[in-house]
Amino acid sequence: MSKKDSVISLRGVSKKYLLYHEKPTLVENFLRISKRIKKEQFTALDKIDLDIKRGERLGIIGANGSGKTTLLKIIAGITTPDAGQVEIKARVISLIDLTAGFHPELTGEENIYLNALLLGMSREEVDQKLEAIINFAGLKQFIDTAMFTYSNGMVLRLGFAIAIHAQPEILLLDEGLSIGDEKFRKKANLALIKLFKRKNFTVIIVSHIKEMIQENCKRVLYLKTGKIYQDGGLKIAQKYFK
Amino acid sequence: MFVLHCGSSAMRYLSKSLRHFYQLLISMTSKELRARYKHTFFGFFWLLVNPLLQMSVMAFVFRFFIKEEIIHYPYLLFLGLLIWNFFSLSLSKATPSIVYERALIKKARFPREVIPLSIVLSNFINTGLALGLLFIPVLFLGTLQISSFFYLLVALLLLFLLTSGLSLLTSALNVMFRDINFFVQAFLIVWFYATPIVYPLSFVPNQYQWLWFFNPLTSILQLAQYACLHTPLPNWQTFTSNLAVIVLVATLGILVFKKQATKFDDWL
Repeated sequence: MSKKDSVISLRGVSKKYLLYHEKPTLVENFLRISKRIKKEQFTALDKIDLDIKRGERLGIIGANGSGKTTLLKIIAGITTPDAGQVEIKARVISLIDLTAGFHPELTGEENIYLNALLLGMSREEVDQKLEAIINFAGLKQFIDTAMFTYSNGMVLRLGFAIAIHAQPEILLLDEGLSIGDEKFRKKANLALIKLFKRKNFTVIIVSHIKEMIQENCKRVLYLKTGKIYQDGGLKIAQKYFK
Repeated sequence: MFVLHCGSSAMRYLSKSLRHFYQLLISMTSKELRARYKHTFFGFFWLLVNPLLQMSVMAFVFRFFIKEEIIHYPYLLFLGLLIWNFFSLSLSKATPSIVYERALIKKARFPREVIPLSIVLSNFINTGLALGLLFIPVLFLGTLQISSFFYLLVALLLLFLLTSGLSLLTSALNVMFRDINFFVQAFLIVWFYATPIVYPLSFVPNQYQWLWFFNPLTSILQLAQYACLHTPLPNWQTFTSNLAVIVLVATLGILVFKKQATKFDDWL
């Protein structure tokens, strides 16, 4: 696969974390006691080369600590690699923490603007989609009340509604996404499936759940200690989940 | 290294992201303002009560120590306290802000600068309103001139630059070194007395005046006081050295923040 038609391309991407047993402080740094603090390096990603084409549906599997979440974070632009090149050619939305960025004192509508801007939408875009977001979340009568009156489920619904209306071209899904009550879960699943079916829509799913990978992905990436161990079709997942 | 392509030219991308930065900053600032006043009856009123109380106590107490009569002393104090409160409040709120907003940092990719800057900006708006109210009694003193507004504008601009730069610096460093916050708190106490708020700079003996070259708030305060109350302007040595410190702090703040921001997630 050439770099040209890929929507995400990683070249030699590495990421190391320093494991401090305690957080460093400025005082220690100045007094040079810091040498006494044990530092350990942990290689989360080791020279990853990866190309993902527009419209691909990729599942990432692997044991805990194999670098799945770090890879997702790098693609989402939340963290940067120590080495290597990252190229992302479309808007990425990650369904990681749906409720972050809401403020309890603001009304639902004010929160929609704030959250959507944080996700990278412009004000004009939100103006256009406001109605659709409110309807999707089913919060019409609450939209002008402060968010601290909302239930947890309502907040999650609003978070989800904003994320899928942000017109992502690449969607990142981490495992353990909770979206509220059963009724809304169905609605959310339908909306996701509708998104997945859109032409040229790219999905990356990190999951330990067999069905999640098997039903939604065509390509599977198996990470082992920060390296790509296997990259191929659903067969990898079938073997892995046995 | 992060390369983004949006299917448009680099210039269009730049102007688009600047626009987004601006919209996000405005939105975050209005969140700060709304969140602060939603549940207080007098809201903005509290912003004035604080310096008014401080001023009353200080004007009363320092009268015993300061032998020479200082004209418009309560006004000088109030103006100084407004500026100081803006500075210290912004700095002590912005320094731990990145750590407090860790959920946001871990959620999405957005310019991280908006977190500390929205705090500084919301305080700045409040301070501007309070200054506007201070102008009402000052009008009757007859010290205002047309040029006053120019000097006040310069003072506020420098104040904003200094506070933003320093807030960017301390908020970024606080992610890695959590004791920065304590340093800032301790340093602010010293800084208050090192700034000519309760005393005019002319009270400082000549051989020590150079010490105030390093405190950029000196010129800012003197410019604002000149604008409102026609006290002496800062001399050129103080002004140029103060200006140099402000530019240095702001540059350092922006550079350090830019460098650290890529690693915030690793430390939170």
